[in-house]
Amino acid sequence: MMDAKLIYANLIMLLKEFHRNKASMFFVLLFPIILMLLFGFIFQDQGEMEYDLLVQDLDGGPNARNLTAMINSTGLFGVTDVDPSEEPGQYLIDHKANAMLIIPEGYSDQFDAIMLSRTTGLPVNETVSVKIVYDPANSAAMTKIGILNSIIDGVNKGASGAPDVLVLEMETTVSDDFEYIDFFAPGIIAMSVMTTALFGTVGMNTELRQKGILRKLATTPLSRSEWLLANILYQLCMAVLSTISILLVGMGLFGLRPHINLFLPLFVLLNVFAFSGIGMLITRFVKDADGAQAAANAVMFPMMFLSGTFFPLETMPDFLKTVANFLPLYYVNEGMRAAMITLDEGTLMTSTVILVVLAIVIFVLGVLLTSWKHD
Amino acid sequence: MSETIIQVRGLVKVYDELIAVNGISFDVKEGQVFAFLGPNGAGKTTTVEIIETIRTATSGQVNILGLDIKKNRTDILRRIGVLPQEFSSFDRLTVRETVQYYSRLFKGEPDIDELLELVNLTEHRDQLYMNLSGGLKQRVGIAVALVNDPEIVFLDEPTTGLDPRARRDVWDVIKGLKKSGKTIFLTTHYMEEAEVLADDVAIISKGDIIAHGTTSQLIDQYCSTIHVSIRGAGPGVEEVAKNLGLTLENRENGTVTIEASNNDQVVEILNNLKARDIKYDGLDIRKANLEEVFLSLTGESLTTGGEE
Repeated sequence: MMDAKLIYANLIMLLKEFHRNKASMFFVLLFPIILMLLFGFIFQDQGEMEYDLLVQDLDGGPNARNLTAMINSTGLFGVTDVDPSEEPGQYLIDHKANAMLIIPEGYSDQFDAIMLSRTTGLPVNETVSVKIVYDPANSAAMTKIGILNSIIDGVNKGASGAPDVLVLEMETTVSDDFEYIDFFAPGIIAMSVMTTALFGTVGMNTELRQKGILRKLATTPLSRSEWLLANILYQLCMAVLSTISILLVGMGLFGLRPHINLFLPLFVLLNVFAFSGIGMLITRFVKDADGAQAAANAVMFPMMFLSGTFFPLETMPDFLKTVANFLPLYYVNEGMRAAMITLDEGTLMTSTVILVVLAIVIFVLGVLLTSWKHD
Repeated sequence: MSETIIQVRGLVKVYDELIAVNGISFDVKEGQVFAFLGPNGAGKTTTVEIIETIRTATSGQVNILGLDIKKNRTDILRRIGVLPQEFSSFDRLTVRETVQYYSRLFKGEPDIDELLELVNLTEHRDQLYMNLSGGLKQRVGIAVALVNDPEIVFLDEPTTGLDPRARRDVWDVIKGLKKSGKTIFLTTHYMEEAEVLADDVAIISKGDIIAHGTTSQLIDQYCSTIHVSIRGAGPGVEEVAKNLGLTLENRENGTVTIEASNNDQVVEILNNLKARDIKYDGLDIRKANLEEVFLSLTGESLTTGGEE
């Protein structure tokens, strides 16, 4: 039913056109690179989780210096000392900063007094406080307060006689190798491949229809399935190009060190099959170019936001998690992440099986439902 | 009489409420140029696309090359060549690559340079399709329609939108095809195109074939008026027309036209001019054309009408 020579002739023709179209080359290569750079830089900081923190030490005693050192040693903050003569609120505004920790005068003495009274065994209700001045409109400030609270929590435990608990606890949360960029890169690949395959297929086929080229192709012995497969193979070439550019940028600039195995090309292939096929079906049923673009967008957006590309699904409400289970891109994302980062065999298998079935169903639908003939 | 190569019987195509083709029947003979002449929206393209097997008929029978269009689609496609309406091709392939691409789809190995020579595109062979003028693009389309050495070539509005010069170049190519013995199915709304190229003309209007024959048969049958135009005629010419009982039309540029209904009347007009010693600067005797045939059949002009 299908003739490899015909498919090959079409693939070569499409690649030749692509190669001569500087604009489309630019976008196939540049779009994923821009995405990768953008999110790479955004999440680079979160990957290392180091926040800037201003500390104004009005006390200067040994306990105050201990606290600063402790904050520093968590690796979560880069501490900058602020001169005691500065007025905190004004300083934040002047330096466009969002939070400053103030250690009050007498902190060291008070701290020692409390410790001393505790060792005597007398009940003590006294506390010592440090103050944080912050910009309530800034979300980073809130994060900083959260982290500081847990540090202070640790100090309190330490004060009750179990030193170093704080340090250990904090390190477990950041010492995991799993950085944001690792979470992100497979998602970016999955999304770029989906976008290229979906919009590439829809764009090309609506254009060819408008130009009457599809009508001409209908008068040749080229079958619909051969054309479908040639389109998919062409989109696969595009997908390989964008995947390689993302990997290069990620590895070169952001220290991405993915596992490279056969599952990566497999998921790229299945991704292309599914979304190129969906694109073919869209152009079959939505004849008008704008309508087809809108339909492709309608397919893309839920995938983009609900498949765990940008946001981990754990943070989403339960019903959205359920929705995600019905989105093909979710399995591409899960599969890619497993292939490149976690090597979790269960996920690899589930994703592969679901995507293979989906790709076959879409391809068969594409062959059965689309026909050269028009009414 | 040559063989019938396309046989259409009772062909009907209905879109929702609109009857695009209303039960038409006709034959196309092998080796002839058959012209389907009619205004936009008359049902030409619908009919031709049904015969090309890319559109489905509501009812009716079509046999082409002895094959039924409903059963032998692939066999038919291998033996016909099609220049679709408003042909266009891949922007960034050269002329040669375009022809080569289409010939690969037919798995044939035609002499591409010879094909390009046939449509006079040899000097443009390495130009990208997107950079060609309209006339050259149409000629690429004709070359593409020939890659499988088809027995029948369908040309759907091959010169629409071309300037007169480019149109004549395309006509030359079509004449060349005719000489090579191919049957040509031409649809057009240019009566001149049908007159210049066609052996057989079917006039279609609103889904019906309203007349069918050679150009001269159609003219003789439906519009036998002979226009005798006399330029710069002196006084007394009105008298001539009046005496013979013929209509006379005064043109603004000083030309009068008398409408004769047969050759004898033409001779009489001329004799009368001579007998009355009426001087004139020039004389033009012209038979009616297909445009006038269409006008007399439908009361409408060929070049008006909605989009197909």
